[in-house]
Amino acid sequence: MSEPSIFFSEVNERQGAFHRRSFLLGGFAGVGLLALGGRLAHLQILEAQRYQKLSASNQFNFRLVPPPRGLIVDRNGAVLATNRPNFRLLVVKDGEHEPGETLKTLAHFVPLDEARQERLMREFERTPNRTPVSVMEDMTWEQFSAINVRAPEMPNVTADMGEVRVYPHGGAFAHVIGYVAKVNREDLTETGPNSEPILLHPGFRIGRQGVEKAFDLDLRGRTGAKKVEVDARGREIRNDTDGDIPAAPGKTVELTLDVDIQNRALEVMGDESGAIVVMDCRSGDLLCMVSAPSFDANRFVRGLSTAEYRALADYERRPLLDKAMSGTYPPGSTFKMTTALAALAAGINPEERIHCSGGWRFGGRTWRCWRHGGHGAQNMHDAIKNSCDVYFYQVALRMGPDHIARAAKALGFGQAFDIGIPGQRTGVVGSTEWKRTQVKRDPTWHPGDSVSYGIGQGYITANGLQLAVMTARLANGRKQLNPRLIKSVGGVEMPPGDEVPNLPFSQEHLDYVRSGMIAVANDRSGTAFRQSQLGLGDVLMAGKTGTAQVRSYDGVANRDSRSVRWGLKDHNLYVAFAPIDQPRYAISVIIQHGGLGGATAAAPRAREVMRVALLKDPEIRARIIQPMPLPDVTDLPPVGVAPEGAVVAPPPLAPGEPT
Amino acid sequence: MTMSALSRPGERDRLVVKFTQIDWTFAIALCLLAGTGALMMFSVAGSSWEPWAGAHLFRFGFCFVLMIALALFDVRVWFALAYPIYGIGLLLLLAVEFVGDTRMGATRWLDLGFMSFQPSEVMKVGIVLALARFYHGISAEDARLSWWLIIPALMIAAPVLLVAHQPDLGTAMLIALTGAAVVVLAGLSWKVIGAAVISFVAAVPIMVMFVLHEYQRKRVMTFLDPESDPSGSGYHILQSKIALGSGGFFGKGYGLGSQSQLNFLPEKHTDFIFATLAEEFGFLGCALVLALFAAVIFMALRTASLAHSHFGRLAAAGVTATFTLYVLINGAMVMGLAPVVGVPMPLLSYGGTVMLTVMIGWGLVQSVRVHRYTEVTSGKGAFV
Repeated sequence: MSEPSIFFSEVNERQGAFHRRSFLLGGFAGVGLLALGGRLAHLQILEAQRYQKLSASNQFNFRLVPPPRGLIVDRNGAVLATNRPNFRLLVVKDGEHEPGETLKTLAHFVPLDEARQERLMREFERTPNRTPVSVMEDMTWEQFSAINVRAPEMPNVTADMGEVRVYPHGGAFAHVIGYVAKVNREDLTETGPNSEPILLHPGFRIGRQGVEKAFDLDLRGRTGAKKVEVDARGREIRNDTDGDIPAAPGKTVELTLDVDIQNRALEVMGDESGAIVVMDCRSGDLLCMVSAPSFDANRFVRGLSTAEYRALADYERRPLLDKAMSGTYPPGSTFKMTTALAALAAGINPEERIHCSGGWRFGGRTWRCWRHGGHGAQNMHDAIKNSCDVYFYQVALRMGPDHIARAAKALGFGQAFDIGIPGQRTGVVGSTEWKRTQVKRDPTWHPGDSVSYGIGQGYITANGLQLAVMTARLANGRKQLNPRLIKSVGGVEMPPGDEVPNLPFSQEHLDYVRSGMIAVANDRSGTAFRQSQLGLGDVLMAGKTGTAQVRSYDGVANRDSRSVRWGLKDHNLYVAFAPIDQPRYAISVIIQHGGLGGATAAAPRAREVMRVALLKDPEIRARIIQPMPLPDVTDLPPVGVAPEGAVVAPPPLAPGEPT
Repeated sequence: MTMSALSRPGERDRLVVKFTQIDWTFAIALCLLAGTGALMMFSVAGSSWEPWAGAHLFRFGFCFVLMIALALFDVRVWFALAYPIYGIGLLLLLAVEFVGDTRMGATRWLDLGFMSFQPSEVMKVGIVLALARFYHGISAEDARLSWWLIIPALMIAAPVLLVAHQPDLGTAMLIALTGAAVVVLAGLSWKVIGAAVISFVAAVPIMVMFVLHEYQRKRVMTFLDPESDPSGSGYHILQSKIALGSGGFFGKGYGLGSQSQLNFLPEKHTDFIFATLAEEFGFLGCALVLALFAAVIFMALRTASLAHSHFGRLAAAGVTATFTLYVLINGAMVMGLAPVVGVPMPLLSYGGTVMLTVMIGWGLVQSVRVHRYTEVTSGKGAFV
């Protein structure tokens, strides 16, 4: 301002107005900036803690980690279901990258054909943003590393290692254990264990059948969490291992089954359709429960293709059906022990002989015995040994159905057992009461119904499990044994099957019927003598054959099943227990539409499976493997009545005496 | 250099003398602000000059040289070019209306072949020049209240309506407020100001309901209740507040801002760079930067008050008003006090167009300073 002339010449009204107004502008700017400063102080000093929390909840995230699913093991700890590492390829829809483009890129590294890409695109449409979709499971190490090397270029792609369920024995346990599969929309619930967020994890699997389904919650374990630093798109930046919550693995479920017996049972079934059940006659534990043909449960874990599913579902021998529990069949002649017990209980004298001439006329028709020429005069023991139909026709007719039904129920027919897994069909146990209430078109019990009932045809059906239970109860001779499949869950023992009341039959009657079964397998004239030789020294098997017809023989010239198509062939059955002196194991074998006889199709299979069961038993092995007896021992005890623990000399290979 | 030397005839026109008359303190303040911007861009890019920090410094360097060059132009050149620049700006806006490029639903760009360009930016300086030129020619009495004032009203309304129609509400509002600032600085009657403010306040709800586009209305609504939709349109404001607040007094430390580094903060290097700064340097860093802005504004206002010509005074103050509006609007937006309108923080934010506009404006201010004793002659009403 050293130039007053210039200064004063410009002093005018306009300049004065401007100066006042520019002070105002300065004031406005100052107030504005101070207001911003005040706001900053409010946010950064007063509310800093609140925003620091919000910032941390943005920055850190807990990622759910699916717990390792619990193991399923057999009675000796052999693993039946476990988990193995799985290299998985996940793509997340982040709203920034086009999933279709990503899939095209990925197709260079992993096999992803057009059809699979289309299926995945539909899945992308269904899944919400930021939820990963599994594009491929079970990549090879090469594929996994190829993807990982290129991961920085594909921010919406993750290749990680998860776990996948594996069933090392493939089909042998498929029906009992079931399988796990991806979670469906229908599985999710609003509350309860199926509402947990872990179910939405792409690696999570839910139990679908059998033990996997029934014990799903025990097997699941406790979900863990991984503390990760994430960016705004939800991608992991860093893992804060100190903040991790470890996942607790699921409980181990121990079954009573035995892997060797089970595998052998499936093996001997070959191409046949049917079921084999082995039960411990003292404890009730189920050692084997096989249904054939079976399927590979591992395929279900990954998800079946439609073609694979159709192939399984359309096959006439129905691999998906559990024939041991869900298939019911007429027991045929294996029912004759039940009829015999009922007759004894009803007061019929077992020594009374009934003449069999190969047929019996009753009610306007001829009821044929399986043996054309007839058996001659038969008492009850002979009738069981020879499986004489005529004898049982007449006995059944004489006592009526209700006696038979009572005995059948006491032996386990018509009953679903609490073995821990669902799916048993109870079958039918006929009685006058049952027919009155259940058969609408013909509610009266006709005498002819009793006749076929006596030989296990007509209003009587059973599943493989029930036949095994019946045999085990007969073999046990005292207790009304219940089967047990689940030995323990998470180390907690399940209730055993032998804490049960006694059978409502007299010991004498039970012994009588058992002696008939022993004769079937050990008397040279028994129906299954040749097929029942175990070849294990004095350890002998008792059994009963059965052949159940599935078509009417009326007007059929040739009863031989060999000439008709599979679906019309007879069912072949065999029930057995061993050893005959101190029964340990009971077995039932059903060969659906086997078309031969019970002795031919079923008994040899029962023998093979029984051998495995016996040879695995240390007590039995001790009996078979023993030092040669001293030569001066002359007093050979009779076969089958050796007192427990006695040193027994090896008996003749084929026992000659019928018991 | 003494004042007496400047008063010697001919001395003031020497280039070296002009050079020394530039406000170098002011220039250093600008460099500090631009440098802070580059520092933050370096941080959010993960300690890298690419892609923003290097480009930002390069642009600033170029614009800084341009500012010095423009400061050496005689203020009478600016005076002579005032109406032509405004006229060209208006023509370009009309051109956008008919042949403009449409991007993201708004027609704002002119494709010049080698670059695209927003004519609305020219108008930010153009409106200041044209109004200063106009008020230079009329008396204080006329500037207070007279029929002459229809002319500045039309001068403001024409570009504002054209820009609003693009639609670019933020820029239209900035041009309108800049024009209004010059009109007020020139000495508009308080009665008119009062009436205008009252009618504006009354018009706002009507504007919101009927004139605004859907996305603009949504922004305003979200502003009023940002936490109602935290993952939708309230996301920007909420994340910005979290970034600010979590910075606390001392900040999280350079390069350690989780909100900006992990991309929770949107537009972390452009419109929301102040939040990035606040997160990493806390209240302390923010206060320093705001103080720098205050210094820049007050130095520019001082320059305006030194000018002998009415044109120079109004032009310099008008540019300062624009700058102040930028700072206050962006600050209010980042702190959740104003809707998200897409106004960057001058010098801090990444973006070439705004940098260029602001630095041309400061070139004009420095020209006014360098030529503060220059007499600008014109007759009353000589606006043609």
